[in-house]
Amino acid sequence: MKTLVALEIKRTLRNKKFMFFTVIYPSALFLMIAGTAGRTALVPHTDLTMPLYYTVAMASFGALTAALMGNSERIAKERERGWVRQLRLTPLPGRGYVLAKIAAAAVATLPSIVVVFVVATVTKGVRMDAPWQWFALTGAIWAGSLVFAALGVAIGYLATGDAVRPLTMIIYFGLSILGGLWMPTTAYPQWLQDIAGYLPTHAYAALGQAIEVGDAPHAGDIALLAGYLALFAGAAAWLYRKDTRRA
Amino acid sequence: MTVRTAPSASGAAPRAADPAPVVRFERVTKNYGDVRAVDGLDLTLHPGETVALLGPNGAGKSSTLDLLLGLRHPDSGRVEVFGTTPRQAIARGRVGAMLQSGALMEEVTVRELVGLACDLHPQGHPVDRVLERAGITEIADRKVDKLSGGQEQRVRFAFATAGASDLILLDEPTTGMDVSARQTFWGAMRAQAAEGRTILFATHYLEEADAIADRVIVLHRGRVLADGSSAEIKAMAGARRISFTLDTPADETALRGLPALGGIEISGRTVRIRSTDADATVHAVYALGLYPRGLEVAGLGLEQAFLTLTDAATRKEATR
Repeated sequence: MKTLVALEIKRTLRNKKFMFFTVIYPSALFLMIAGTAGRTALVPHTDLTMPLYYTVAMASFGALTAALMGNSERIAKERERGWVRQLRLTPLPGRGYVLAKIAAAAVATLPSIVVVFVVATVTKGVRMDAPWQWFALTGAIWAGSLVFAALGVAIGYLATGDAVRPLTMIIYFGLSILGGLWMPTTAYPQWLQDIAGYLPTHAYAALGQAIEVGDAPHAGDIALLAGYLALFAGAAAWLYRKDTRRA
Repeated sequence: MTVRTAPSASGAAPRAADPAPVVRFERVTKNYGDVRAVDGLDLTLHPGETVALLGPNGAGKSSTLDLLLGLRHPDSGRVEVFGTTPRQAIARGRVGAMLQSGALMEEVTVRELVGLACDLHPQGHPVDRVLERAGITEIADRKVDKLSGGQEQRVRFAFATAGASDLILLDEPTTGMDVSARQTFWGAMRAQAAEGRTILFATHYLEEADAIADRVIVLHRGRVLADGSSAEIKAMAGARRISFTLDTPADETALRGLPALGGIEISGRTVRIRSTDADATVHAVYALGLYPRGLEVAGLGLEQAFLTLTDAATRKEATR
């Protein structure tokens, strides 16, 4: 199983186009969205400045994009071409496959997070009160992205061919917008905020926001994300085992 | 770590006494929509056999292999591999399989891919040994997506033989190979068989079945049509090839009405017949008042025998 994990990581790193866009994309979005905001403008109902808010939001969003999209499309393609069918004839357990795919996604997301932080610091002068916050943010966003890597594996198994991209997009935009990765959920009506509170993206954004203001992430958010991780990874492993698609 | 059934004291006991055959199909049926791909199939494979699964396209070969590998589930009946479910047998590393189609992992080298198979197998062999035995040591550092058809087949074979599996399954293993590559590949298959592994391979190269298999199973419309050694299959078909030339253009209707016909080919005055009873057929030719010239009656290869068998079965069903 170790060999599969190592091989999946190597394959991701060798895929230069994928790595390039994955690393550049969140920073580009940050510059587009936060580029016009004043350095000291505050996000409504919070004490956070716009650039700081978008630093965390875009780092999270970028990591989510890479983890979710990278996995779902590549896996759907691998299934279609028949590689997964061949792999299912080996003693590899379902969890091994899911683990390898999550690890491969994690390799791509880490640099994308770090690059957003560097770009934010350099172009918008984003600062934190304490240096530990940067490290905590990197760790939290990176770890949180694993939830979406697992979701990506599950989607790659649910959909095939032409359906996988639209399905991924619906889930991707739905989760990102409703969860508050693009704008704070405080701007939403109350009923929508209530729903948003249960989404993995909301808990994911909340991890970063807690660290931004100098707090520890809330246990509730961590528990919610852990629950989603178990759910998505379990579903993905189950779908891997039961997939009988022919090449 | 695998627990294997120890051979009984009388090692040469009749096969039927073996408590756990390698593979057992019991009245297995599989439909795809209205199409019945496997139709009440009964099949038992014993340890150490090298078995060829023959049949025309659509005979149910691939479906049978899919069921055996747990890639599909039977609609009714039971499939057992080493006395357990296919999935269990695979998880324990008892089955190595090579599929006919489907891509291999991309963006990796041959060595990396075969190394993966060695690592995943509970009793994996060293990579170099597997590469060598599959004859792909020279291309070990090549990218998997940059191989010729024949090379890819050998990589698949390496993938299937990366560990000490007791059953090796090969679906049309020599597709895309030229004659010499095929001969070399047969050597690799025989080496696996010589180690006591049970081998089941699907093929439509009858030459391949003739050369390697000690048991040939002919499938037709999802059922076993014939099961025996290749010599027995040939005898079972009782097939002879008859050819002759006529003085006048042949009367097709009359000729097609000949008895014991396994197949007939008429081109102008030349007639070629596959017959399951050459004596009866030749007699009937004379009885039609024809004067066959250059009459030849010859035995058939396995290929012809096989065609005779499946043609006869198709006709029988048509007249039912």
